Amino acid sequence: MQDELSYVKDETAIPSLLKKAKDDKIETVWDRALAMQPQCGFGEMGVCCTNCSMGPCRIVKISPDGPKKGICGATEDTIASRNFARSVAAGSAAHSDHGRDIAEALHYAAEQKRPIKDEKKLRALAEEWGIQTEGRSVEDLASKVAEKALNEFGKPFGHLQFVERAPQKRKEIWESMDVTPRAIDRDIVEVLHSTHMGCDADYRNIITAAVRAALSDGWGGSMIGTELSDILFGTPVPHEVEANLGVLKKDCVNIVVHGHEPTLSEALVLAVNDPDLIEAAKQEGAQGINLVGMCCTGNEVAMRHGIPMAGNFFQQELAVVTGVVEAMVVDVQCIMPSLPQVAKCYHTKLITTSRKAKIPGAVHMEFDEKNSVECARKIVLEAVMNFKNRTDNVLVPEEKVTGRIGYSVESIIRALDGITNTFAHQSGTVKPLVDAVKSGVLRGVAAIVGCNNHRVPADQSHVLLAKELIKNDVLVVTTGCGAHACIKAGLMSEDAVKLCGKGLATCCELLKVPPVLHMGSCVDISRILQLLAIISKYMNVDIKDLPVAAAAPEWMSEKALSIGTYAVASGIYVVLGVTPQITGSENLTKYLTSDMENIYGGRFEIESDPIKAAHKILDHIEVKRKQLDI
Amino acid sequence: MSLFDIIFTGSEQALAACKSIVEKTVAERGENAKVAFPGTAYSLPTIYAATGKKINTLAELKNVIPMIESLIVKEQNLEKALNAGLATAVAAEVIEACKYVGENTPYAEPCIGFIPDTVIRSLGVPLVTGDIPGVAVIIGEAPSDEEAAKIIKSYQTKGLLVFLVGKIIDQAINTKIKMGLELRIIPLGYDVTSVIHVVTVAIRAALIFGNVQPGNLAELLKYTKERVPAFVNALGPLSELVVSAGAGAIALGFPVITDQDVQEVPENLIVQKDHDKIAATSLEARGIKIKITEIPIPVGFAAAFEGERVRKED
Repeated sequence: MQDELSYVKDETAIPSLLKKAKDDKIETVWDRALAMQPQCGFGEMGVCCTNCSMGPCRIVKISPDGPKKGICGATEDTIASRNFARSVAAGSAAHSDHGRDIAEALHYAAEQKRPIKDEKKLRALAEEWGIQTEGRSVEDLASKVAEKALNEFGKPFGHLQFVERAPQKRKEIWESMDVTPRAIDRDIVEVLHSTHMGCDADYRNIITAAVRAALSDGWGGSMIGTELSDILFGTPVPHEVEANLGVLKKDCVNIVVHGHEPTLSEALVLAVNDPDLIEAAKQEGAQGINLVGMCCTGNEVAMRHGIPMAGNFFQQELAVVTGVVEAMVVDVQCIMPSLPQVAKCYHTKLITTSRKAKIPGAVHMEFDEKNSVECARKIVLEAVMNFKNRTDNVLVPEEKVTGRIGYSVESIIRALDGITNTFAHQSGTVKPLVDAVKSGVLRGVAAIVGCNNHRVPADQSHVLLAKELIKNDVLVVTTGCGAHACIKAGLMSEDAVKLCGKGLATCCELLKVPPVLHMGSCVDISRILQLLAIISKYMNVDIKDLPVAAAAPEWMSEKALSIGTYAVASGIYVVLGVTPQITGSENLTKYLTSDMENIYGGRFEIESDPIKAAHKILDHIEVKRKQLDI
Repeated sequence: MSLFDIIFTGSEQALAACKSIVEKTVAERGENAKVAFPGTAYSLPTIYAATGKKINTLAELKNVIPMIESLIVKEQNLEKALNAGLATAVAAEVIEACKYVGENTPYAEPCIGFIPDTVIRSLGVPLVTGDIPGVAVIIGEAPSDEEAAKIIKSYQTKGLLVFLVGKIIDQAINTKIKMGLELRIIPLGYDVTSVIHVVTVAIRAALIFGNVQPGNLAELLKYTKERVPAFVNALGPLSELVVSAGAGAIALGFPVITDQDVQEVPENLIVQKDHDKIAATSLEARGIKIKITEIPIPVGFAAAFEGERVRKED
């Protein structure tokens, strides 16, 4: 499937850097993907089970005489659904632990009386959660909110606070299926329990547990992560930012921050602006310190501080191959363990910082949230001192573009306020967006999220899908590596309006926004849920009734599966560009791609061709419009 | 019905009306009968500006119908909806042109119908200097004569040029509002299609002052949007035809403000049910900012009263 030629088609791969990697004899993700071919069919179909030591077991589908049941008696439906559910639980766990860390960070910030950036949002959230705000100091409030958030992970009774944000009809559907998320850790643990050998064998019931764990992510862990990050570090506002690996600077100390949690990257932002450290860098012969971001932590600091977006998932190795990265500082999630091998060939120091994610061959400098800025200073100093070890084997690519990002729900509503009429409309609502959609000027809204994956041409699926949608007057919102792909393709620049249909182009010109709105990192998909909830409530319909859809054209991680599942369970039509490992069970496949629609109003669709995916989304949107009679 | 479907329906109605009146006129006058608006060098201005072609005879006018048909493509997107709006405008021009076939003078006091080039040239300078800060086109019927007068006067006192179409003309007469070109209150006609006579003012402004080349539709629409500060107030019940004509106005860059329940389009189609706020809503929607020094005197005071004649009986 993957041959050498298709490397070049990968828009994530900058040809000059790919050639350099080859010359330097660096093995990259593409080489490993090629070496892996053909990949195991049992795993691909999800019918391999290693959940107990009687296994591994496999179900043979292609010949009539192979085993049709595992040794315990589990069928293909049971095995495939258990594997799927465990992936969802892992994805939910990753996001939720991220959310927990942010809640802890807020707790320590309150304790140490460190500044809280968005006091207004803090107060609003406190009120939403029934915390008495009057007469309370900011620290006191932050401490109470952090405590309440931390309790969401393991409270014994009731359901998650953020469930109340969902429209009434949605809550009723969840209630009727008994999937209303209760406590984040508990919902994840329950999946692990149910999928243990000899426990749940009903694929529908297993998926129901997975749905609950996924909802615990979207309306729990991720939402806590986003909301509390905004409170701590500021709610993003629109601004310009540079993207792609060309943001690395030859004459500066380059630090790439890669991973997910903004606690580390925010502290780095402070540290790289420390005059002492800048002076130290100059002493070492550099012009200054250049901090750039990669993957979701890159999205976080780009959204809040305009730190350049160096690249997405498939570009992490190429960043090191430039030879100008003094330090790649990582925390958790989506960090390729191959990085130390790449770094070894250059002077780059790979610095791990989380006790949850160590990599053999990396320098470990543990990040302590209680002492965050001091930790960050040490890391930056390590990078500065490494500048002198840089060799002549460097290549700073020219690829670099500018885009406009920072579209939190708050800034979207602020932009919408700009096109209300003072004498006819209220401000602070989503009315202009709803009017644009109801009148037909905009046909709908689609979210493009997810990763990179060697199974589809990387970045291209994101970009082609986005282009086809905006051409047909569908507003695109994006997060994660999809956002990186879109900004690199110029879809967040002013010029992108030329690629839009007349309706969307008119909206973009009026609102002064690009047709593809960067809404943040992968936990920030909770912003999309929040926006949809606000729109649903404004229109007095359920989320499933809206002319909206989501796509993960190049998804890869278990987090993406959790995201996809909570989106479907929230009533959203979700197109996956990569087939999940479920096809060994026709029942499970049918359940996820069809039956779920009857229950939740959303379902999965599998379509690897981005243009066909776009047209499936357009068709879905038109069906929803017809049902709404708009 | 979706907003776009309402527009398409209205455009089809305009097309049907246009076809039947052309057929009827041809039957009465023959294909070679002359077609022209009085006092213009721009033939049928809408068609001339859009296509670069001048229409001289009924036979040529008949050939415009396929063009109108081609503009009505019932696909659900803004581009097609705006084109359908333009189709309605062209159909209205054809219908109005049929009224003028031969040496007919179809409009009589108080209505003036087609506005000759000389008037547009005289309005050009005050429009450019901002002495006329905007052009209000009021179509339909206000809920009462008093409301009508209030809205008209609110524009007049701010120096806007006001065009009236429909029953609002009678409402203005009933409340003794003085009208006429020199007073900047211009009653066009009672039929919806007479609104085209203000559209051609904007179009000829683009040709005369903007040096837009006939046939360059994109440039024409850009000019009207950016340089002609017009807007439409659609009052009273809205037929599909009026909504469709409104889409034509929006295509030219003119927002429509109505007191009726209709699906709003941000910045372009706005509902304002409070008649006291219609003027303010409209001026903001068109981005018209007026610096006013209010002089506390018991009579109206504005440039629009400059041409007023005081008759003996007054």
